[in-house]
This record gives sequence, structure tokens and C-alpha cells, in this order.
Amino acid sequence: MELLKAIALGLPMTLLVTAVALGIGSIVALPLLAGLRSGKTAVRFLTRAIIDLLRGIPPVVWLFLLFYGISAGSFRLSAFGAGVIGLGVVAGAYLTEIFRGALGGIKAGQWEASEALGLDRFTMWSKVIGPQGLRVAIPGFTTYAIGLLKDSSIVSTIGVAEIVYLTQQSARTSGQGITVYFIAAAVYIMLSMPIGMLSRNLDIKMRKAVAR
Amino acid sequence: MQSIATDPLTTGQTAVRVTNLAKAYGDHVVLRDVSLEVAPGTVTALIGPSGAGKSTLLRCMNLLERPDRGQIEICSHRIDASKAISAKALAPLRRSAGMVFQHFNLFPHMTVLRNISLPQQRILGRSREEADTKSMELLARMGLADKAKQYPSRCSGGQQQRIAIARALALGPEVMLFDEPTSALDPEVGVEVLEVMKELAADGMTMIVVTHEMGFAENVSDTLVVMADGGIIEQGDPQRIMRDPQHERTRRFLRAVLER
Amino acid sequence: MNTIFQDILDYGPALLGGLRISLALTGLSLLFGTILALVFALGITSRNKAFRWTSTFFVEIGRGAPALVLLQLMYYGLPNADITLSSFTSATLALTWTASAYMAEYIRGGLAAVPGGEIEGAQALGMSQQDTLRYVTIPQGIRIALPALMGFAVLLFQATSLAYSVAVPELMSQAYSAGSSSFNYLSLFIIAGAIYAAISIPATWLSVGVEKHLAKHL
Ligand SMILES: Nc1ncnc2c1ncn2[C@@H]1O[C@H](COP(=O)(O)OP(=O)(O)OP(=O)(O)O)[C@@H](O)[C@H]1O
Ligand SMILES: [Mg+2]
Repeated sequence: MELLKAIALGLPMTLLVTAVALGIGSIVALPLLAGLRSGKTAVRFLTRAIIDLLRGIPPVVWLFLLFYGISAGSFRLSAFGAGVIGLGVVAGAYLTEIFRGALGGIKAGQWEASEALGLDRFTMWSKVIGPQGLRVAIPGFTTYAIGLLKDSSIVSTIGVAEIVYLTQQSARTSGQGITVYFIAAAVYIMLSMPIGMLSRNLDIKMRKAVAR
Repeated sequence: MQSIATDPLTTGQTAVRVTNLAKAYGDHVVLRDVSLEVAPGTVTALIGPSGAGKSTLLRCMNLLERPDRGQIEICSHRIDASKAISAKALAPLRRSAGMVFQHFNLFPHMTVLRNISLPQQRILGRSREEADTKSMELLARMGLADKAKQYPSRCSGGQQQRIAIARALALGPEVMLFDEPTSALDPEVGVEVLEVMKELAADGMTMIVVTHEMGFAENVSDTLVVMADGGIIEQGDPQRIMRDPQHERTRRFLRAVLER
Repeated sequence: MNTIFQDILDYGPALLGGLRISLALTGLSLLFGTILALVFALGITSRNKAFRWTSTFFVEIGRGAPALVLLQLMYYGLPNADITLSSFTSATLALTWTASAYMAEYIRGGLAAVPGGEIEGAQALGMSQQDTLRYVTIPQGIRIALPALMGFAVLLFQATSLAYSVAVPELMSQAYSAGSSSFNYLSLFIIAGAIYAAISIPATWLSVGVEKHLAKHL
């Protein structure tokens, strides 16, 4: 029980890192998505290169690069800052692909109908394509979010006191390494479950909204 | 041309006997006590409206579908559907009944030759050389010897269906079951398959063919069986039934088909 | 820029030595992982209760727990049960666990996606259940799962960078120790990142190519 408490203290930090990185990722994904859909070949090419590079380098390398590598005078990123920015931009690249796939799943007729009706771009995106695309993107987005929840553990390597960081500490002090790591595993598994459930509920709601 | 078919059954006068076969999906009764006898060396065409239960009947015969009740006898291999069916009893029954599907169901990850040889090796215990020799012989008869090393996806639908027929024949079945073998094919390609089936019939193979090809049903089959609503409503000489159907449902069905 | 070139000259061999260990770790855990994954994939759908439960147990933990937790469990945890493994062995075990769990799901999905007609075709020919599985369902299922498995192999290669935290002298930890002796972390992490990217990116292209190729031919 003591052990569980020690580990649970890291829970808010794990959730915070995940949520902030997911937020950064969603924001980063939008310009990348626009870049991929650009009419200019050079822009598309450059965007693709950025996405490939973000995904081609392990998150831990990005974190170390930001945390140990970036300093200007006395300025250094905090461990938390480096952690969420690193995880966030990598997430942005993955989310771009998820959103792009979702847009690809929308039938050509929807774009054509919007154009034939003469809808302006804002209405088309906010009322027709956006809602449908979002619904299609939810399962992929959730899967990624659950993955990110686990990947957030990487920030422990630069000293952010989340679940794995505290687990490692209590493994060292308690001498019950196996138990504490299994508790940590169980915590992650239990955390993933409500997210999955939430997404299914959201999916049902959106389905109703779109089906109307 | 040498006979493709194995010798027709010498014992008894029936190659296939189905007795009181019943099958339901939940509340939905698909076969109601169907009984049918097929004499060795004859061709039976099975026709009827969509949903009549033709495929289900055929699939029950080699137990791809498990009937709820009834007996099935194919060339003296007998199975009682209301009792437990052992894998041991199933194997000889399936071996004596070759099946050809609407969508061919070839194995896409194997070459044409492997498609035909592998089952022979695994089921009949033939060596690879023996099996390949037999496969090449059958492919040559189908006019497809040059396709042996290709993958099925490189063959046309008509070719794939003839390969599927060769695959079934390679196991030396005594009865061949066809479920709409030409329905997925363009008419001009379907002809290639129908020609092969005609030759097979001429060689004395016992065949049961679910079909929408009225020409085949009328001119090639020896017996016409008309199904509707999970039962056989009429059976007999094809020409007679086509000319003078006894049952109202048959009349309606024939009118609808011939109008197309 | 000059420091980067100087660092490549100075630390290149050490980094490549680290890369070799990263690749060995990837290769071994892929090899063992694939074998186990196949067992688990059959296990989670098995009718045998004991087999199903053990498979489910390993798959759920392997997928549900961060790779970092499994790595540290093997390296820092097991010694408490008087099992002390080298850092490389514990990393191989942990990554095998993760890999087998994820790949089991991909393979299970692939097996489930094998068209029913092909399985029926085998049954109608009279092939036994084992033969149908061995010659039709498994080869076809793996083929369907192949692009996902290849994509995962790239992620696994990247995940070996976490083995740094359990003292495996792989690429990441070589970069870190080089950085601490040259006092220029930035240039060393850029070089390490470039090495990871130079392998991951073409490998991803390859998996996309395989996916397109298979889509055309099945
Ligand atoms: N697996 C199944 N589950 C539930 N109902 C089924 C199943 N297979 C067949 N049916 C139902 O059984 C009935 C008979 O189907 P069957 O395929 O035997 O008809 P059919 O005579 O072959 O028709 P068609 O000419 O369209 O091929 C249909 O009403 C069908 O909906
Ligand atoms: Mg049918």
C-alpha cells in the first residue's frame, strides 16, 4: 500500500505531461496537415521531410537534444518544458498522419457536393468535412493518446517526477523492485482503460450527430 | 481424351443421398426436410430464386455448413447430422466430394501449381513429384499449362475457376459440387468454364450444379431440381420442366429468369 | 558545424559501435518476439483456458506497460528475486516482451482478416484443421500483417534507445557519454539523431512500399 502511494504521487505529472504534449501535438499537426495538402510541390516535399524526420528520430533523442543540447547563455529548458515540447512535436507528426488518413476516408462526393453547393471554405471545413473527419480520426487519435500516455514515461530519463521516476526511486529504496514495477505496469494499464471507454462514448455521440 | 473422372460407383445406384436434411439460422428456417437422390454419372442442376437455400444445401452436403438434422451419404460415406461428427468421418466424405465455389477460393499466396499440388500431398500423401505430375496433367487438360508458375491473381476469372476445378479433381473425387461457378464471370469467360464442365459430364462425373445458366441446366443436366423457400418443389427431366412446369413458383421463376 | 565534423571524426567509431548494439538488440528481440507473437496470437483465441490466460496475461502487460517499465523491471527489479542479468540480456528480454505483445495483436488481426473463402476452400478439399492453419491461414495472415509488423520493427529499433536507461552501451548512451566528455551535447545528439533517422526513414519507406505491393497482389 505504501508502495502504491509512492507511485501514485507521480500520476498527476504523467497525466499532465500526456495532456500538454497531446495539446502541443494537435496544434503542431494543423500546419503540417495544411503543408501536406498544399498545392505547391516544394511545400509538400518540405512538410513530408519534417514529418519523416520527427518520426525517424526516437523521442528520447529529441528530449535529450532539447534538455542537454539547447542552451543560450544562462537559458535552459526545464525538464518539464523539454519533455512536453519534445513529445509534443513528435506527436504532431504522428497526428498529422492520423488526420490525413481520416480526411482520405471522407468520400469524394462530400467535397464535390460542398463545392457544387458553393459553400465557402470555412463552412465546408467547419460544417461538412471537419465533423466527419474528426469522427473518423477518433479511434486513431485515442490509440495514439494511449501510446503517448506510456511514452510520457520517457520524461523520467531527464528527471521529471512522474510515475516511472518515482517507481525507480521506490524500487531503489524499498528493495521490492518486482512488486513496484508490476504496480506501475498495472497503473498504466488501468489508466488506458477509461481513455478507451471515453473514446467509444464520444464515438457513439459523434456518430449520432453525423448520422442525422 | 482420357477420362478425368474416376470410375463411377459400381455398388448401389445412388452416388449421393440426402435424407430429411434440415437447417435453420436462429428462427430462420433455411432447409426444411430436404431429400434428394443423385444417380452415379449424372448431372443434376439445382435452380431456384435467390434465398431458396441452394447454396446451403450444397454446403451441407460436404458439411461446410452443419445441418441440424438429416443424413448425408456420398459414395457409401454416411453421416448423421444429429449425432456428433468426428474429423475422421468427415475427411473421407470431403475427399469424395469436390467443391467449386463462385469466387474460386484459390490460395493467393501459392502459385497455381502449389494450389493444386499441396492438397494432394497433404490429403492423399502423394510425394511432391507425383503431385506435380498430376497437377500438370490436369492443367494441360484445362489448357492452362503455361500458368503453372504464376500466382492466381495473374490469371483471369475464367482461368482461376478452371484452376479451382483442377484443384478439386486432383484429389480424385467421386462427386463434384458446383455453387454458381460462372456467376462471378463475364459471360464470354463463363463459356470456358462451362465447356470444361460439359467435358467432365461427358466423362461420366457425377455432378451437382447450382446455376443460373438455363442453357446448361436444360441441355447438359440429366435432372433438374427446383428449390424455393428451403424445399424442393419440383424435379425431373429438364426439358419437360422447362416446357411444362407443374408448380406455380417454378413458372414464376422461369418466367423471371428467361425474361432477362 | 565544424564541431559536428570534429565530433564525427572523434566519436564516430564509438557511435557506430553503439549502433551495432542497437541493431543487435533490435534483431534479437524481433526474432524471439516474432516466435512468441505467433504463439500468443494463437493463444488469445485458443479454447484451452490455461493457454488463453497466460497468452492474454503476457500480451496485456506487454502492450499496456511502457517499454521503460519492462526494461527497468528486468534490470532493477529481478535482482530482488536473486536473478541478476546483464544489461544486454535484460534489455533483450524486456524488448522481446513488448515486441511479442504488439506483434501478437497484429498477427491476430492478420489471421482474422484472411478471407473466409480461402479457409473454406481448404476445408472443402478435406484439409485438416492443422493443415489449414499451417498452409493457408498463417502464411496468408502474416502476409496481411506484414506492413504493420515492418512498421513496428522500426518503432522497436527506436525503442532500443531506451535501453540506455539500463546501462546498455547502445547508440544513445554512446552519444551521451561522448557528449559529456566533449561538453557539446547538441552536436552529438544531432549526429545520433541523424543515424537513427538514416535507418528509420528508409525502413519506413520500405514498409510502405511492401504495403502497396501487397495491396496490388492480393
Ligand atoms: N450464415 C448465415 N446466417 C444467417 N442466414 C443465412 C446464412 N447463410 C444463409 N442464410 C440465409 O439462408 C437463406 C438461404 O441462403 P442460400 O445462400 O442457401 O440461398 P441461395 O438459394 O443459394 O441463394 P442465391 O441464389 O442468392 O445464392 C437466405 O435467406 C440467407 O439469407
Ligand atoms: Mg447461393
